[in-house]
Parts: sequence; C-alpha cells; structure tokens
Amino acid sequence: MTKRIRSKISRGSAELAILALLAEHPLYGFEISKQIEEKTDGALRFTLASLYPMLYDLEKRGWIAGRWEPNRAGRDRRVYSLTPAGKKELAPLRREWNLFFQALDRLAGVTNA
Amino acid sequence: MPDKPMSDKPMPDKPTPDKTNDWAALVREQLHPLNLPASDQEEVIAELAAHLEDLYEQELGKGISESEARNKVMDEVVGWRALAKTIQRSKSQEEIMNPRTKHFWLPGLVSLTAAMILLTPLIAISMQPRFLGRSPLQMVLLPWLALLPVCGAAGAYLSRRGGGNRRARLAAGLFPTIALFTLGAILVPTRLLTFAHPEWRYGLIALALGIILPSAALLLGALPFLHESSQVQGFPQTPIER
Repeated sequence: MTKRIRSKISRGSAELAILALLAEHPLYGFEISKQIEEKTDGALRFTLASLYPMLYDLEKRGWIAGRWEPNRAGRDRRVYSLTPAGKKELAPLRREWNLFFQALDRLAGVTNA
Repeated sequence: MPDKPMSDKPMPDKPTPDKTNDWAALVREQLHPLNLPASDQEEVIAELAAHLEDLYEQELGKGISESEARNKVMDEVVGWRALAKTIQRSKSQEEIMNPRTKHFWLPGLVSLTAAMILLTPLIAISMQPRFLGRSPLQMVLLPWLALLPVCGAAGAYLSRRGGGNRRARLAAGLFPTIALFTLGAILVPTRLLTFAHPEWRYGLIALALGIILPSAALLLGALPFLHESSQVQGFPQTPIER
C-alpha cells in the first residue's frame, strides 16, 4: 500500500515537473533531468531509466512532442516541447496538486516542518 | 557477512563499461529485447545514447577520471531489461481504450442504450389493447422524460470517472439526443422533400418532442457531474493513471 501511494506521488509529481519545465521552453532529455535536479537543489532527480519512459508516455498522450535538433555543440538531440493539449492539462494538474498540498498542510503542517 | 563469490561472467542487467565510449552500441546491446518497429527502436537507442554521452561528459567536466565517469554513467541504469520493457510499454501504440473512447464514446453509448432500454417497455405497454385509447404523450413521452435524467447522469458520471473534461461529460450525457438529432437530420429532410406540400409544423413538433425536451431532461441529470470537483480524490493523479 505504502509503495503504491509513493509510486503514485512520484509519478504524478514527475509528470507535473516535466510539463512545468517544458512550459517554460523546449528541452531535451538530459537538460530536463539536469534542470529538475538543479532547480530542486538535488531533492528531485531523474535517472535515464525513470525519465525516458515518462517522456514517451507523455508523448504518446499528445501532451509533449519531440523532434531532433542540433544542440549548442552541434549534436543532434531530441528536443521536447509542450503541445497545446499539454498546456491544457498543466493548469488542472497544478490546481490539483495545490489543493493536495493545502489539504496535507492543514492535516500535517508540512510547510512548517 | 561473507562476500558473495565473484563471477567472471558479467551480470546481465549491469553492463561492463565499454572502452570505446560507443554509447549507441552499448544501449543497442543492452536493450536487445526491445520489441519496437525498427525506426522507433533506432530513435530510442540514439536518444538514450545521447543522454549517456552528455552525462559522461558532464562527469568528466567535474575532473574525475574516464573510468570513474564511465562507472557513474553505468550506474544510471540499474536494470536494462526492466527499462526495455517499460520503454516498450510506453512506446506501444496499443491502448486498451483510447482517451476519446473513455471520455465520450463509451459513456455516451451507455447513456443511449439506457435511454433506449427505458423507451422500449413504455412503447410496448402503450400498445396493449387496454391503453390504446390513451395519448402517446401521456403513455410514452412523459414517463420517458421523467426517466431520462438517470441516463444523462450515467453518461456524464462515466465520462467524469474516465477523466473526461466538462465538454466530454456534457456530450456523453446528451448522447441519446445527439444520436437522435443526427438520425433526424438525415431522415426528416428526406421525408419532407418527398411530399409535395411538406408540413413544416409537424417537423417542428417532432424536433421539440424528440430533441429539445429529451435534451433538457438529460441535461438535468448530467448537471451535477459537470462541475469541477473541489476535492482531491486520493493522491493527485494524471489521466495516465486514471
């Protein structure tokens, strides 16, 4: 049970993290994992094994789209950007997580911990 | 605790770092059971190899040795076989149900079937000899309209449960009249055109009785399920998990 809840939290939050990052600007896989790690001071980290299946899932659902482009070093990388459908999904997802944290805070005082 | 005996044979899920830094070859070898169309497979291999290459260079940039950097990169994937399976599942185009089916078609068909199932016995009863003198409005239409909110509610509820947005829920709830309207849009003009003096008045009455009133009844049932919930049901999930 605990494992299932953890898995749901991590999956849902990972999707939100990716969509929110891509809402700012298109990125390729390595940049996504690097930025998530940097922006969360290492609290969240994506390995290759956790990141790409998630990206493919999101792409299959039409929320993100990938295309090959050369990076700054001139090497081809698959750059992902948020689609209009992904933009539409992001707002309710953010609201839902906000509600969830507010509820958890009222219950357990997590923000003051 | 004694150490486990070491084996010369490399563990299948933990590749030995290669010396050539040919990341694509390594990924191809490790993801070997990946069962995807050739173009998808090559794309996945190229993408993962690019990630490993970037990671390797990042580690080297920290001033560590090449072998240390390679070991760090190899730690990125603990189980290649599990990764191959997960990627295959994520890339696979086969879904049990696509979102449109879950949000609209299935709930809509449930709503339509329920509406038709409720209508059938009402028509059968009205045709019994003892009720033959009664008006069809009283015997069929009014009881049907009274029952239709249940059908609208069922459609909208199932759509919401499937992760449908407000528009999908509304469409699923009103599906019986959408179907009737589509049928009417084909049949009524054809019928009217076949008459020399078409009775438009009857067409309008049929429209009101067959479409507008049932739509209102269905909408009544669907309304409670059109509002966005202010409650978080369990932990936040995305439609992927719903």
